[in-house]
Amino acid sequence: MSIDMTEVTDSEQFDEVRLIDAGSNPTRFARGWHCLGRSKDFRDGKPHTVKVFGTKVVIWADTKGKLNVLDAFCRHMGGDLSKGEIKGDEISCPFHDWRWGGDGKCKDVPYAQRVPLRARTAAWETMEVNGLLFVWNDPQGNPPPADVTIPEIPGFGTSEWSDWSWNTFLVEGSNCREIVDNVVDMAHFFYVHYQMPQYFKNIFEGHVAAQHMRSTGRDDIHTGVQLDMPDSETISDAAYYGPSFMLDTVYTVAGDTTVETKLVNCHYPISQDSFVLMFGTTVHTIDGVTQEQADGMAEMFTEGVETQFKQDVEIWKHKTRIENPLLTAEDGPVYQLRRWYEQFFVDVEDITEDMVARFEFEVDTTKALETWKVEVAENVAKGIVPEQDPTKAKA
Amino acid sequence: MKQIDCQQCGTAVLVEKFSIPHTSVQWVSDAATSCPRFAEATADARDSVCGTTALSCSSLSQSIDDAVRDGRLPIKSRVEPVIGDALVADAL
Repeated sequence: MSIDMTEVTDSEQFDEVRLIDAGSNPTRFARGWHCLGRSKDFRDGKPHTVKVFGTKVVIWADTKGKLNVLDAFCRHMGGDLSKGEIKGDEISCPFHDWRWGGDGKCKDVPYAQRVPLRARTAAWETMEVNGLLFVWNDPQGNPPPADVTIPEIPGFGTSEWSDWSWNTFLVEGSNCREIVDNVVDMAHFFYVHYQMPQYFKNIFEGHVAAQHMRSTGRDDIHTGVQLDMPDSETISDAAYYGPSFMLDTVYTVAGDTTVETKLVNCHYPISQDSFVLMFGTTVHTIDGVTQEQADGMAEMFTEGVETQFKQDVEIWKHKTRIENPLLTAEDGPVYQLRRWYEQFFVDVEDITEDMVARFEFEVDTTKALETWKVEVAENVAKGIVPEQDPTKAKA
Repeated sequence: MKQIDCQQCGTAVLVEKFSIPHTSVQWVSDAATSCPRFAEATADARDSVCGTTALSCSSLSQSIDDAVRDGRLPIKSRVEPVIGDALVADAL
């Protein structure tokens, strides 16, 4: 066996200061399906305002219940359609009552003899999957390819699954690439989220970026994602389907009990330095778990996940964008993840093979686990419980 | 990264090892069709995890382990990867 374990230390060969290349935010918004939230929240008979993709859109349900998404600014005099009214199938502008259809065309100007030429505004194609509303964004204006879609959760919408418990965060001062970077970040699960990853593997292939993690909790701190199940193990198979929507199948296993949870982690960009982060959880209700118990577990899991997102946001608020991360052998494949992510920011014809070819990376967690076990044992011995709420910790 | 051919089907991939537990595999052909195990998994979708074709191919894993044992695949420290087309072009 030939193992070259010669390590190069900084002091021997590289004594230059490592400079951070902060780069710059992208100049366009990603091509792909973006989840804007739960469908039912947009079906209350009112128009909704959502700031996304550097603009403002109006979302409303027509008489058939179809959700429509249009640029909110009326092409007549710039009125905000999302402050208007739904009239029949159309959205009416509060300024002069111009009526716009879900296809982006102006259908009627009630005070005028005819609708002017070129009375067409930007419309986003919509899709509803698993009770969630998605819009297709493509700077080139192409329709969504049939093979780029969001997987359905079998049995969702029946009593097999609890209702989505859904939460929304506004993140300002950061580009949404920060959350995507977490896909490969094995070590932050310990330091930021108080989990112990035992096994960690990433696979990127086509428009999918997967993270397979087996983790346990810590003896010095208990988190909601452990579901109050002592000595539980978490089996998590998560993947981004496109640039912004991650669906995670989580099995929480303790003794003979296994709880299956689906966790959604998704975002949409407001601007290049702000985004809306959303997460939702639903718990599988079969296997001797009642609907009430499932809802209760979903709530507990959601609270745990909410804490985790707050912990991430606290990091992003203060960090810099970095194009040239300095990595150890135990870090995940940040550069390859970003190469995968790049496919959504170039024209389809400019996607290169390396962005979409399968890439696998299994992280060595041996040294990390050795170190973390000692740290946790020391905390337990000293009776130290790490603070979970990032706004209270390290103030 | 170093080229390793699967002992089972001959598919060439690029592999990097930072330690015995660590493995990094860059496919340079369409994984879903060039690996017979993956092709089978895709056809039948049972083994498909998360929309990628499968978690791993046991024949390829064995081929990588053998290459390490034979000294054909050295274990190295991490270097910053070349990004873009050059990654695949340089390595093969």
